[in-house]
Amino acid sequence: MTLLTGPSRGVRQGAPRRVSSALRPWLYLSPLLLALGVWIYGPALFTLGLSVLDWNLTTPPTGFVGADNFARLFRSADFWQALGQTLLYAVALLPFSTVVPLLLAIMLWQRPGRASTVYRSLLFLPVMMAPVAVAVSWKFMLNPLLGLANEVVGWFGIPPVNWLGDPSTALLVIVAVTAAKVTAFNMLLYSAALSGLDRRTIEAARLEGASSWEITRFVVAPQLVGTTVLLGTLSLVLAGQWVFTNVTVLTQGGPDGVTDNIYYRIYTLGFEFFETGTASAAAVIVLLVFAVAGIGWRLVRRSHVPR
Amino acid sequence: MSRANHPMRRFGPVLWHTTLTLVAVAMVFPVLWALLTSFKPANDIYSVTPFSAEPTLDNYVRVLADWPVLTLLGNTFVMAAGVAVGQILIAVLGAYALVHFSQRARGPILVLVTISLAIPPQALIIPQFLMTARLGWLNTDAGLIVPQLGTCALAVLLLVQHVEAMPRSLTNAARLDGARPFEVLWHIVLPALRPAISAVAILVFITTWNEYLWPLLVAPKPEDTTVQIGLTQFQTAEGNDFGGLLAAATLTSIPIVVVYLFASRRITDAFLQSGIK
Repeated sequence: MTLLTGPSRGVRQGAPRRVSSALRPWLYLSPLLLALGVWIYGPALFTLGLSVLDWNLTTPPTGFVGADNFARLFRSADFWQALGQTLLYAVALLPFSTVVPLLLAIMLWQRPGRASTVYRSLLFLPVMMAPVAVAVSWKFMLNPLLGLANEVVGWFGIPPVNWLGDPSTALLVIVAVTAAKVTAFNMLLYSAALSGLDRRTIEAARLEGASSWEITRFVVAPQLVGTTVLLGTLSLVLAGQWVFTNVTVLTQGGPDGVTDNIYYRIYTLGFEFFETGTASAAAVIVLLVFAVAGIGWRLVRRSHVPR
Repeated sequence: MSRANHPMRRFGPVLWHTTLTLVAVAMVFPVLWALLTSFKPANDIYSVTPFSAEPTLDNYVRVLADWPVLTLLGNTFVMAAGVAVGQILIAVLGAYALVHFSQRARGPILVLVTISLAIPPQALIIPQFLMTARLGWLNTDAGLIVPQLGTCALAVLLLVQHVEAMPRSLTNAARLDGARPFEVLWHIVLPALRPAISAVAILVFITTWNEYLWPLLVAPKPEDTTVQIGLTQFQTAEGNDFGGLLAAATLTSIPIVVVYLFASRRITDAFLQSGIK
């Protein structure tokens, strides 16, 4: 047993221990395991259970109904529309969770120094800004009669737009408002990945006479595949969740359900219509999609990321 | 590497500054415009000029009189501080144990933590709400704080990276001197972790301050809720008083923006030095 260089568990003598060494890790880990078990993994199983019961929040559960909740969900046109819109959000937000933050992160990384540190802090600000305050401000600027947005498009001769009331613009507005936050957060994650790059290989490539495009393409890009696959997968699954606050404050899923999505639907089913069973069935479907995406991500990662 | 021969330099400095400034301004524009508008008198509120000829504090006076801002700020502070302290306790103990004495459990537990980071909260809110209601915690600080300790994944992952990065010789030396594991944590690990802990604590504090969904469910009472929910209730009640609404929005978000601007370097560094890839 090497005392000086080995992992710390190699050290066993010293002061008498009050806690046996087999138990100690679990003592330190118990708050973490308790928090995750009680408030994350327990509820996930609980959701599975609720999805096969007939229950609304106001009365006690009346019994086991098997797949009835799923059947009711699949029969409702609203559910399919919400699912379709969830997919639209995912596609619309994908560039803002990958390409745009990657470009910003590369720009910041190219000129290290005080200026780039200041820009990085400013660009991360949307993650920190209170989402309701931002949404309220947008609502004010998008006022169909007098708002700043219509004033500005008016300069170009465009007639006033009912941004949040018109099905053709409402979804775009929600995407645009959410895009700032997604871009900001992923810019920082890409910056973290870039700061971990091996600068020596880049320097070596430069000395070999590689152009900066070649360096980006053949040295930097391959090392960012893992980050990109992860952020892309997360965006596909979670885009509908990221827009949640903006949908609640700005459109409540309307007009005509175009800004609805599966996450907002779980909330309205459960807490506005008190259909606990149907809402839980929708939640189970989300968890299933999530599990499939997780497995898919592992497979892509294993085949594309060099170890 | 000197800045002059950076191999990746492609943008001229003017283009570089212009692009980044434009993007930064576009990103903070809504809050900036809310701030500017909150000082405009009612008859001038929709004007396109950023500064009013007759700036006024009327909007703030009205909001402070009609809306329990201070109570809500207090509630939100208690929730955010409670969650930050709780998550840091969980994360420090967990990160120390995972790095220093549970090599075998480490992989599986980190997988559980990582998965929990990405599970969408909406998939869990119904059972979480029922459990909170059964505990009698609706409209209480406990109901606002305790369930949100489950979302400690980011704090744990960031602190694991920082504990991992500490030189082992420090902790091993203390152990050889006979220090108990808790003494090693308290006297060696904690002081070295202080910058990382404060960055993560501020990050958790701000994200909890901004949390919308959970307080909406468990603390809907106007006097027990947080500023985010209070702001939506204010909007429903006084929908056309945009002057008051934007003053309220400014009051609820400016404290956080100021805290962030002071701590921003620490927060971004907590990510940049974490070795996340």
